[in-house]
Amino acid sequence: MRGMILRRLRTSAVLLLLASMLCFGLVVAAPGNVAVLIAELRTPGATFAEIAAIESELGLNNPLPVRYADWLKGALTGEFGISYKTGQDVGEAMRNRIPVTGALLAGAAIFAVLASLALGFIGALRPYGMIDRATRAVALFGASTPSFFVGAMLVYLFSVQLGWLPSFGLGGPETWLMPWITLGLLPGAILSRVVRVGLEETMARPFILTARSKGLKRNTILFRDALPNIAPAFVTALGAQMAAMTVGTVVVEPLFAWQGVGELFLQGVRFRDYMVVQSGLLIFVCFFIVLNLMVDLAVMFLDPKLRRQGSRT
Amino acid sequence: MTNPLFRAVSGLRRGLSGLPRLALGILIGFAMLGLVAPWITPYDPLAQDLLSARQGPSAVHWLGTDHLGRDTFSRLIASARTSLFGMAIILGLAMTIGVTLGSVAGFRGGRTEEVIMRVVDVGQAMPSLIVALAVIGIFGTGYWYMVLALVLAWWPGKARVSRGVAVTVMSRPHIEALRVLGASPARIYFRHLLPSTLGAVLVYATADAGALALAIATLSFLGLGIQPPKPEWGQMLVDGLPFLETAPLQVVLPGLALTLVVVGFNMLGESIALNRLPRPLSRAKLRESRAKAATWPKETTDVV
Repeated sequence: MRGMILRRLRTSAVLLLLASMLCFGLVVAAPGNVAVLIAELRTPGATFAEIAAIESELGLNNPLPVRYADWLKGALTGEFGISYKTGQDVGEAMRNRIPVTGALLAGAAIFAVLASLALGFIGALRPYGMIDRATRAVALFGASTPSFFVGAMLVYLFSVQLGWLPSFGLGGPETWLMPWITLGLLPGAILSRVVRVGLEETMARPFILTARSKGLKRNTILFRDALPNIAPAFVTALGAQMAAMTVGTVVVEPLFAWQGVGELFLQGVRFRDYMVVQSGLLIFVCFFIVLNLMVDLAVMFLDPKLRRQGSRT
Repeated sequence: MTNPLFRAVSGLRRGLSGLPRLALGILIGFAMLGLVAPWITPYDPLAQDLLSARQGPSAVHWLGTDHLGRDTFSRLIASARTSLFGMAIILGLAMTIGVTLGSVAGFRGGRTEEVIMRVVDVGQAMPSLIVALAVIGIFGTGYWYMVLALVLAWWPGKARVSRGVAVTVMSRPHIEALRVLGASPARIYFRHLLPSTLGAVLVYATADAGALALAIATLSFLGLGIQPPKPEWGQMLVDGLPFLETAPLQVVLPGLALTLVVVGFNMLGESIALNRLPRPLSRAKLRESRAKAATWPKETTDVV
């Protein structure tokens, strides 16, 4: 078990290193001289002497490995440098926005998990009933519907037609609901199929027959014996959907005018603000790598087969 | 010996008969509309007519007009062409790069495979849309930058699939036999490995096309993909968003059109995935093959 965890940790560490090199290389390879951009930002019509001064100030004349080490040291302490376009401190802007994105992601994930468990269990309790068939249709369309379309439709329904919820902004609880649902609805539909199909497959296994012949009720078996069996598959699928939702923040945050990391990243992409793109990409990629690591570790602990196999090696 | 590519195509054709009619209908409709769009749109999709802007459906403009007075029905059809051509270009380029690198990795093995697959690993560690956004953030917006960004985001997946297929093909006995017979590596690669890899990857590509259509629309929705005035569903949707209250149709229609196409691709991909699973022989099939085997002469037991 320990060997397995250590090996997995090493893979993640290598990936993190490669990803950081990629983010660094992206800006180094980007067209245009950074020093000229910054000099123009400070004093329009900058002279060559001023540009040279900024070059040495930023350490642009140092060899690449030294620049990479300096940049990595800064990135690890949350310093991402100054934006070439707006002159703001990118690290600080990102730090201020992480809680917003975190709240959006957490809310959407909780919504998706609760909805999928509820719908999946209802489907398994009454197979091929109304709700089962409805969630199946939603799940099929769910994988195919763009989140911006879902968001627009929710706004139309709840803000324009019913007038229950504000169409954008970040304030009280009533403003949280729609972004959460927009981001969590489709992952929830897809996850509900994982629960439903997993339960159906588990219920056909021999140990369920044993439990039935002992005289246990079907619903008891469903919750006590079948549920732990689908946990590894569910956690893996949840990890994939969390990654999809993280990408979705780039679309959903601007749609509801939330000032999160995704929105800042999008602004950076739009105005070709390399420092913002670089730091946003680094934050996203680190999150994905850590997410995958957590999913794999969780599956290791949840799956008795993997647990035992690991202890032998 | 039959060409593996031919076998893959005929296999695909056999598989098509079992596909959901709905998916096939949607996709054929999408492809036809995309191909003939310039000749069938009732209006020029780019022609502005500010006097008749933001109208509802009528006999003149079947699905109304947008905020610049452009005919929505014409724009919906023209968008199919934009989407179809974008997908074809991007998938073609991504497959060329992916299949080449992936099959070379599977063919050569060793150090070459190691290096290629590590690059693929890094590419696949991040979702494709984030990669595409980062590339656009560095190079800028525009049609060909979008193509570049999506190709860069898409090829690692293709490379992974092709490498997997190539490795299984390389382990088959007929490759071994070719080597023993003295076939050159180039002959093995181009005549035997590449065609069968390409066939299998093409089949998987249909399943992936829906995600690509979605990515193009999402980038266009964000203003980073297809640039105006070229009509595109994601862009039409974002254009209609400020007028959601008064003209919801201008948001709903492009969204529905896009969703329908992606549903078609996803259904196709799902049933192809199901078709590729080995299915137990039906009783009729068994009887048929037994009857066929009974007619064979005793000496030739091997099936040619």
